[in-house]
This record gives sequence, structure tokens and C-alpha cells, in this order.
Amino acid sequence: MELSLGTLGSAAAALALGLSLYALVAGTLGAARRDARLQTSARLTAVAVFLATTTAVLVMQAALLTDDFSVKYVAEQSRIDAPTWVKVVTLWAALEGSVLLWAWLLTGYTAALAMTTPNHALRAWALAVMQGVQVFFLGVVAIVANPFVVLANPPFDGPGANPLLQNHWMMAVHPVLMYLGFVGLTVPFAFAMAALITRRPGTEWMQLTRRWTLAGWGFLTAAIIAGGWWSYEVLGWGGYWAWDPVENVSFMPWLTATAFIHSVQVQERRRMLKSWNVLLIVLTFSLTILGTFLTRSGVVSSVHAFGDGPVGPVFLAFFVLVALFSLGLVAWRWDQVRDRAELDAAVSREGAFLLVNVLFLALTFTVLIGTLFPLIVEAVDGARVTVGAPFFDVVSLPMWMLVLLLMGIGPLLPWRKAETQSLTRNLAWMLAGGGLAAGAALAFGLREVYPVLTIGLAGWNLTSLALLLAGAVVPRARLTGRSLASASVRYAFEQRRKVGSMIVHFGVVVVALGIAGSSGYRTDVQLRLPYGERVAFNQYELQALAPFSERTAGRVSVGVEVAVFQAGRQVDLLRPHINAFGTSSMTVPTAAVRYTPGHDLYLSIAGAVDPRADAVIIRVIQSPLITWIWIGAVILALGTVWTLVPARSLGPATAPAAAGQRARA
Amino acid sequence: MRRVALVVAIVGGLSALFVFGLLRGAPDRNVPSNLLGRPVPTFVLPVYERYLADFGPRLSLADHVGRPMVINFWASWCGPCYVEAPHLEAAHRRYGDEVLFIGVQTQERDARVAGRAFIERFDFTFPNVIDDDSRVSIAYGLFGVPETFFVHADGTLDHKHVGPVDARLLTERVEALRR
Repeated sequence: MELSLGTLGSAAAALALGLSLYALVAGTLGAARRDARLQTSARLTAVAVFLATTTAVLVMQAALLTDDFSVKYVAEQSRIDAPTWVKVVTLWAALEGSVLLWAWLLTGYTAALAMTTPNHALRAWALAVMQGVQVFFLGVVAIVANPFVVLANPPFDGPGANPLLQNHWMMAVHPVLMYLGFVGLTVPFAFAMAALITRRPGTEWMQLTRRWTLAGWGFLTAAIIAGGWWSYEVLGWGGYWAWDPVENVSFMPWLTATAFIHSVQVQERRRMLKSWNVLLIVLTFSLTILGTFLTRSGVVSSVHAFGDGPVGPVFLAFFVLVALFSLGLVAWRWDQVRDRAELDAAVSREGAFLLVNVLFLALTFTVLIGTLFPLIVEAVDGARVTVGAPFFDVVSLPMWMLVLLLMGIGPLLPWRKAETQSLTRNLAWMLAGGGLAAGAALAFGLREVYPVLTIGLAGWNLTSLALLLAGAVVPRARLTGRSLASASVRYAFEQRRKVGSMIVHFGVVVVALGIAGSSGYRTDVQLRLPYGERVAFNQYELQALAPFSERTAGRVSVGVEVAVFQAGRQVDLLRPHINAFGTSSMTVPTAAVRYTPGHDLYLSIAGAVDPRADAVIIRVIQSPLITWIWIGAVILALGTVWTLVPARSLGPATAPAAAGQRARA
Repeated sequence: MRRVALVVAIVGGLSALFVFGLLRGAPDRNVPSNLLGRPVPTFVLPVYERYLADFGPRLSLADHVGRPMVINFWASWCGPCYVEAPHLEAAHRRYGDEVLFIGVQTQERDARVAGRAFIERFDFTFPNVIDDDSRVSIAYGLFGVPETFFVHADGTLDHKHVGPVDARLLTERVEALRR
């Protein structure tokens, strides 16, 4: 056999699989027999697996960048005149490559865990579980969907990656974030399994993995919103979320993971909700696998499902294995994870967290049923139905309102039992804040139920955040004699976890306002713009100047320049256009957006650009507040990062012990 | 033991559903159109030379709302389109001006010669337009060609048919539009 990039890549993938199998066996035996040498061998092998998988990824990149069309994946997905960045990201433009990316990130995480986790009773089993998951993904890469297959008669050029992916740089970022999230959430799953196997269902497993969990959650959150922004910029319909199965399956693990990161605090603090926590992380991990199965097998029809391939049955088998193993283990060890303590009072922090769990689980169930319903109906009576956005909106919106309500009140409730007096005072403030916001919305003429409710709940939440911050900072300033500003800064640096969660909650409020504004009050029309004439649209006037066409390497764009006037003055020049890539007959309309804090003006060409025509048809959408979704996402990400950075003290505090106790009280 | 049984039951039920999903093969293309009962997307498309005298260089769908329409999507490379074409022409001749038939050549680019040959072969006397960049086919949610949309006089979609039409189906659906 001639040495080519294809054979080299296949060899690296096979080596990684073999090493991972060894690490799984050695790690399991080492953990079961408490054999330190076997355990060490398994840990070192984890690093070797990572190196072998890295080699496979580098080989694939080399093949993509040098246009080696003897490698099947390159021949099917790449193109000679694609820009370099497109070639690099083509690694995850199709199924085989994205499984390779997933496997690579997983091996990286496992190697990092093997090297950095302190020697702990859970480590050996957790690493064995990680290796088990890894064996599956590497097996898919090496055997079932090998991207390195060598073609006997390589073509001279390939078709290039899906035009929709080439059309926006966000596609370089979104999938990586998504896989970082999925892989990150594998870590707490592995430690939870280890805790069950070793009969240590205490809080160690969650404390050891707290940062991994939060980072995974943060990546998943960022990935979902980045996907929404991509959809907004590229798909030309002016929306960002369509409740499509592909979106839903990434959303379900996010819902359970969100419940999980809240629920673990109850176990850390009150040794309660153990069974909830184990079940939530099992669900989160199982749902990532289930989602991959659903979207990669063609089982549910979706606008952007990857076609069906050989991986469907394999992912289904793995899902069944994971679900049986993990749920079986939970059932087996039920006596250990069962809660012994009872809620002291329903109105308490832990009561609120329990309600959060129930709400998020109900949301997950709603999304799951909506996604699977067409399949269930078809299985039962053969009829074909589709479940669209109206179902999800009607069922989930009331629950989202409850989530916002709880988000405001929960952090203000003390553990165990709330004192009626302080609770009433806080509630009064928050009701006033919420009432004021809702009243203002009504005064401005808003009449739709959910937007007004959302604005009211935003006021409720902002008041709650202000109360939280004031409750923490004012006593500190008094005690230490510092100014409020300096006390706030110290508090932010010392209580990163608390302040981080406040920032994240603030981000959620901002996102909620963006969603309420953009979905409740959007205008969406098709306008015929004769060249040179100004056509009125809301507070703007639009004037199509002239069609243009541009040709860059491998891409042809045809579009129209549209001048935007406001109060007679030109405020913007937008260039909505249609892109065509290489030889693909598929064209991608690319919207042009004028982003402003109050609203976005979104132009997308509806129809063709004919240079001989005297007008162009443009879809014009105005969505209030939509930009705040993306700004809120950035705030969310910053809050998560803030929480993750280890706390450090800013010099000696005057009364650190007392302040610390008060903060925890 | 009851808990283990519960786990097995849930996982088993889900897997049975998914195995069904895998075995039933490629999803059937007859998913009900979500345009049903709603106005069909309008379009302005270039017209083949042969209809210039009656329709001008570009046909705007919006101008023809007011009588029932049958919009048929075809491509010159599509086998079933050749099968259904004579039925479309026959139905058009039968209903005359009462029902507007429109042919849309789609999912092929710059295929004028092939398109002209297709039209001449069946002597289409109803207007045929060119959806060169397949934008209209996307707007109508096409899975493939041929697909035929039966549109009420008020512009809302009554029925969508995936695959070739025949004389019986055309009569049935057009009569439903005239009611």
C-alpha cells in the first residue's frame, strides 16, 4: 500500500481506537482491582490517544489544505478555489469530519482530566467512563464513517462545502462551540457514573467537575445563540429560531444542563436532590447522543438534517447502551441516591430550585414530544404531520414566564425557610419594579400579552438583582468603611460565583427582552423598489440605487445597493445580495442588516436581480430590540467566564471572616 | 427490580420507535405543505418567448390573483415531468381562460435550450416561466420536481401534489377550485 495522507489518517485513527480500547480495559481493571500501576498506565495512554487523534486531525487538515482529492472526505466536501479559512472549517462541514472533531475534543478533555485531576477515588472510574465514550466516537471515525477512505480514481476538483456554511464566518465558530459544550458535559456525566459505581453519591463528583460543567454549559449556551445569529444573518427570513428538530436537539441538553447547574447547589448546601442531580446529568448526556442520532439518521425530517448515512443505527445502539447503563446504574444504586432529608419549607431556596428542576424538565419534555410527535403519529397510524412553531410557542411561553418569575425570587430566598418579614419587603420592591415596567409598557401602547409580561418580569428581575447587590455591598461598605464603589469591586472579585450568576441572570433578562420585542412587534413586508425612487417603509424611505455583481475566488455575488433615508437624510447604504459558490447550483440569499439599539432593518432579496428590470423585489423586516439578544448572549458568556476564574483576594480586607460569613448567610 | 423494569420499558419503547424510524426508509415526501390555506408566495419571473405577446417579458403572479391557478414546477431533466406534461396541456385547453395554468421551470440553471425543447415537444399553450436560481422553488418548499400547486381565486393554497399528475387528479382538484 502506498503511503498517502489517506492511509496515514486511517492509521492514526485506528491507532487512537486501539490505544483507547487498551486504556478502557486497563482503566476498568485498574479501578476494579485498585491497581495503581494499571491506573497510571491508563492515564498515560489517555494522553497517547489524544496525540494519535491530533495526528488524524492534522492529516485531515493537510489533505484539505493541499487539495488531496484522493481522500474521500476532501473529494466530497472541498474545492480547490475555496478560501483557506473555508478549507480549514470544512473539517466540520459534514458528518464524518464533525465526528472526528468531536472525538478529538473528547480525547483532549480526557487527557486533560487524566493529567490534572488530583488522585481521588472517583478518578479511575471517571476516566474509564470517558474512555468508554471515546471508544465509541473513535470507532465511528476509524470504522463506520471513516473520512480517510482513499479513492482509487481521485477527481480533479470537488464540489465544495455546503454553500450555507461557506456563507458566514459564524459557521467556523458555532459547531466548535457546540461540540465543546457536548464534550464538556460528558465530564460531569463520567464523574456521576464513577460516584454511583464506587457508592460515593455525595457531593465530591460535582465539586470536582464544577468548572467543567459550567464551561460546558457556557459553550452550549454560546453555541445555541451563535447558531441563532447565523440563521438570522444567512437564511434571509429575519428570524433566529424556528423550532426545527436540529435546533431542538441542541436545546434539550441545554435545558437539562441548566436545571443541573442549579440543582447541584442544593446538594452542595443541603445534601438534598441527589437523585435529581444524577438523573439530570444522565439525561443531559443521553440527550446529546439522542440528538446526534435524530439529526444524522434522517429519522425526523428537518430542514437542515445531514442526509442519512451508516451512522444512524450506530448512534441508536450507543444511545440505548448509554441509557441502559446509566439509568440501570441509578436504579441499582437507588438506595444511595434517595433523599433522606425533607424540604423544611416550600418557600425556601431549595424549594425554588426544586421548582426550577420541574419547570426545565417540563420544557425538555415539551420539546422532546414536539420533535418526536410526527414520528409517533406515523408509527401509530401512518399519517404524516408536522409540528411547527405554534405548538412550541403556545406550550412553552407560559413556562418561560414562570422561569423568569422564579429567576427573580429564587436568589433572594434563604436556605431552609424564609422569614416572612424580609420576604414581604423584597416582594413588595420587586412587585413595584415589575409593575412599573409593565405599566410603562402599557403606557407606550404595547398590548400583546407576552411582551408586556416579559417587560414586567424584566423589571421584577432587575429589582431583584439590585436588592441582591445592595444586600451584599451596603453592609460591607459600612463594616469596612469603604465607599460603595470600592466595596462593590471587592465583592465582585471575591464572590465570583455569586456575582457571576448575577451577571448571567442579567444577561438572560436582556435576551428575554430582545426575544419579546423582536417576536411581538416585527413588521415583515415585500416591497417593490423601482430603481431611483424612494419607497416609504415605517420611519424610513428606501431607494434602490443600482444592481451590482462581484466576483471573488470561487464566489459570485449579485445584489442591489439600497440607500436608507430617515427624515430625509441618508443614514445607511445596505447591500443585500445573493451568493453562488463554485459549481453548486444552490444560491444563498444574504441579507443586509442595519443594526441599531432600538430595532434592526433587515433587507433580503426576494426573487431575482435582473439587470434589465426596472425594479427589484425586496423583503423588508423591522424587528425591535433584536440586537439585545446578541448583546445579552455576550453578557451571559462574560458572566460564565467571571464565575470560572478562580477567586483571589484584593489585599487584606478589614473584616474578612465576618464579611465572608455574612455573604454566605 | 421495578425500577430496572421501568428503565427497560422507557428505553425499549424509545428504541422501538427509532428502529421503526430507521426501517421505514427515506421520509415520505408528501408532508402536508404549511402553505395550505395561506396565500402562496408571489413571484415575478421571466417568461419564455412564445408567451411574450400575452404576458409580456415578466409574469407577476400577483397580477393574476382573482382566478383559480394551477402552478406546476418542472425541469427538463426530470422524467416524471414528461409523463405528466400532456395531461397539463389537455386540462389547460379544457378550462381555457377560466383557470390559469402556469409552468415554472426550476432547479436547473441557464437551461433555455432544453426548456424550449420541452415546451415545444408538448406544445404548451399556457405560460411557462423561468426560475433560474430556484428561489421560487425554495419559497414554495419544493422537495423536488414535479410538484403541482392548486391555488384558489383568492391566492390561497388549496392543495399541493408531489409527483406527476394525471387527468383524473387534475379534473378532481380543478373542480374543487371552481366550486
